[in-house]
Amino acid sequence: MSALKSIKSLMVIEYLLTFLVIISINFALPRMMPGDPFLHFSGAMDEVVSFHSKAQIQYFREHYGLDRPVHEQYLTYLKQLAAGDLGFSFYYKDNVSAIILRRLPWTMFLVISAMGFSIILGTILGSYSAWRRNKWQDNALYTILIIFSEMPAFLVGLALLIWLSAGLGLFPLAGAVTHFGSHNNAWEKALDILHHAALPVFTLTLARTGGIYLLVRSSLSTVLTKDYMKTARAKGLKEFRIRYVHALRNALMPLFTRVAIQLGALLGGAILVENVFSYPGIGVLMRSAVVVRDYPLIQGIFLVLAIGVMAANMLADLAYKYLDPRTRPAASGKHVTIQLPAKVQKGETS
Amino acid sequence: MLAVNELGVRYKTGNTTLTALDKISFCVKSGENLGIIGESGSGKTTLAMSLMGLIGSPHEVRGEINITGKDLMSLAEKDKKKLRWKTIAMVFQNSLDVLNPVIKVGQQIVEPLKEAEGLSEREASLETERLLALVGLERYWKDSFPHQLSGGMRQRVLLAMALSCNPRLLILDEPTSSLDAVTRKALFEMVHNLQEKIGFSMLVISHDLSTMKDLTEKMVVIYGGEIMESGLTGEIIEEPAHAYTRGLVNSSVQAFPYKDLWGIPGEAQAGVSGCAFAGRCTQALAGCGERKPYLEQVFANRKVACHRGGIIDLLHAADITKCYMMQNTVIPAVKGVTLRVRHGETVALVGRSGSGKSTLVHILAGFMHPDKGEVVFDNRVVKTNRSACEEGGIQLVLQDPFSSLSHRLTVEDALIEPLKVNKIGSFEERMARIKAALKDVQLPADELFLKRYCSTLSGGQRQRVAIARALVMKPKLLLADEITSMLDVSTQANLLRLLKGLQNSSGFAMVFITHDLHLARKISEKIIVLHHGEIIEEGSSSYVTEESCCCHTRELMEAGL
Repeated sequence: MSALKSIKSLMVIEYLLTFLVIISINFALPRMMPGDPFLHFSGAMDEVVSFHSKAQIQYFREHYGLDRPVHEQYLTYLKQLAAGDLGFSFYYKDNVSAIILRRLPWTMFLVISAMGFSIILGTILGSYSAWRRNKWQDNALYTILIIFSEMPAFLVGLALLIWLSAGLGLFPLAGAVTHFGSHNNAWEKALDILHHAALPVFTLTLARTGGIYLLVRSSLSTVLTKDYMKTARAKGLKEFRIRYVHALRNALMPLFTRVAIQLGALLGGAILVENVFSYPGIGVLMRSAVVVRDYPLIQGIFLVLAIGVMAANMLADLAYKYLDPRTRPAASGKHVTIQLPAKVQKGETS
Repeated sequence: MLAVNELGVRYKTGNTTLTALDKISFCVKSGENLGIIGESGSGKTTLAMSLMGLIGSPHEVRGEINITGKDLMSLAEKDKKKLRWKTIAMVFQNSLDVLNPVIKVGQQIVEPLKEAEGLSEREASLETERLLALVGLERYWKDSFPHQLSGGMRQRVLLAMALSCNPRLLILDEPTSSLDAVTRKALFEMVHNLQEKIGFSMLVISHDLSTMKDLTEKMVVIYGGEIMESGLTGEIIEEPAHAYTRGLVNSSVQAFPYKDLWGIPGEAQAGVSGCAFAGRCTQALAGCGERKPYLEQVFANRKVACHRGGIIDLLHAADITKCYMMQNTVIPAVKGVTLRVRHGETVALVGRSGSGKSTLVHILAGFMHPDKGEVVFDNRVVKTNRSACEEGGIQLVLQDPFSSLSHRLTVEDALIEPLKVNKIGSFEERMARIKAALKDVQLPADELFLKRYCSTLSGGQRQRVAIARALVMKPKLLLADEITSMLDVSTQANLLRLLKGLQNSSGFAMVFITHDLHLARKISEKIIVLHHGEIIEEGSSSYVTEESCCCHTRELMEAGL
């Protein structure tokens, strides 16, 4: 038991350390960028476009504490974070947390739906391929999905935008809802949101399905060669039970961890795709924050994303243990408290 | 119940085909237990898989499998599913992966029944508990996962699972491979009890003789995917008729707890056109490698697939009687002895001094004429010492190497003499042969040693030279008359291991005369006890030394201890 506890506390320390490193990098990265929140670089010729006079800039720097030494700024940043304060945006003149909270739901909406769709699609196609391993259906699916998953998401998004939205006018060009539109009821509003989200979600799903397909395909192929699959077949079970109770349950366990680990990549993809479709999520916000060197906002966004990815990893870590009975912690299962009766150990028959 | 006719399985992977089973035919009657024995890779598990109808394309299954009147081959997959587990169930070979790691044991036990009968959760749970109780497991194990069970418990779970639908035929694949002796015994008892209670037939697949002995009445021996021998289990183990079966029995510690174990030399070969065992068989003829032997009846209840009709009888002596005349007294030395030596076998002739052993051996070799009776060697009656003059005949090695080797001869002279006398080979061939023989008995074969006089050799060396002299004639039968009695124990041990090793690789038969029963059971498969010129007991070495009820044999045993 004590060993288990020490492992748990080790895990907590590990996550805390990771967190500390992340916020430090978070603090350092925007300051390492060329430029300044009050001087913008624009254009290809490195022209300095300044909207403020020297005196004004001096005033702003003092006001936001940017004139102080870096370590002092760092300490202030940590203090603010500890109090739950993400700071005040230079550009939007608003609380960073309030800005992020306004944008976050849209990104979450994209990411979660894309993840859901790609898991469903990847699992269905992956298992279809595994059942027909090395037949033409498998080969065809494999080729198609590899091609799609290797294409950059923003390129696919751009192509779709030009073709379906600009060309055929089937989908809106930008935004998450129709601006200034009036919705008669909630149902209409929901439809409008779905209409706007369709292409970004589709693009993201397309990019992520390949990886999940490959994982399910290879994992299920391995499971199919296991002895217990032979046992299940010999038992004369129905095909459905053999496939979905005996095989898929074992094959999907690695998928769970993989999805959580890939959440980071998915978020990265979402940021690019949001920019292509001008979808008002965190991604678009981040881009404009970087352009204007809005340090607190950049830090805030990075922090939220990092926490999101870390939380997903932690969740996967914990949940996997419960999914697989072999790694399930002993204390929580009722069956494990059973002691072997002496009779069984001796191998006697009753 | 189950009738298999000319079953053949070929595995196809890419462009290669591998014949796993060929022309397998056998049947299991209702209530009968049949064993399938063979070493690993002989096709046992493939056989089980094909009986369950689990070998599908691209692999090829041919022949007929008839289960309770239904032809498995002609059934659609859907109907095969109906047959599986309800009529024919299987206890799989115990491995960590044989049960699904993420499904509770209880569910796995009852799921085929639940699906077939449409039981409710509650009924299924009760049924699981009943099945667990049947195999002697507490009911709470139903909520455990496979990784929480020990090997023996997993075996019980597999058994409970196989019994869930009350099958008519139960296939047990290596039921004991991972179990300790106590658990194994308990399992056998349980299987017997269950069989009495439920009344299924069994097909036991194993490489283990004691499993066969305990679980089956009939046995089929397969090798390289073909049946080599079939018959009653007890009889096959007591007297194997096929060279392969004998190899299996000889390698089994259960059959010969005291004898040194000797495996079958060589490796199994795949895709041979002739007899599958020909490459490892010591009595194989040139024709054996060319065509397949058929399974033929050799005697009651026994079928053997061998071009030579099983292990051949090399020597047969019938009713041998010999008396010596001393003044006017007739001293009977051998009284009506009948014995048989089969190819490649070691028979120990045990008896006190004066029991007629040496006389008998001299008669067998043809050096002495019996008053009555006849010795047949290799299908020819032995009247003179002709067999001793031929290659592939009988050679005799005597007790005392000091007198059997002339001390005036060099090693070379002594060894080359039989070849010279019998005009075998050119000089170079003779030299090559004696050098090979010296190597075989682990003596140096250089000039220096060849030119040494026998008188300069030690007792152990002399005896080895004497054996080498017998070996240059490539005998089929070696008569060894107390060859180790004049040697110290260490030399004796070395010499005996050497001799058994040579026998195992070149396959000559040996009649080993000794007065030491313990030595006899260490090296021989068969023991004949001679007393006052009569055979008072004979049988397999473990039987004679373990279960003998003959008081004279007991006396010999105890005297030796």
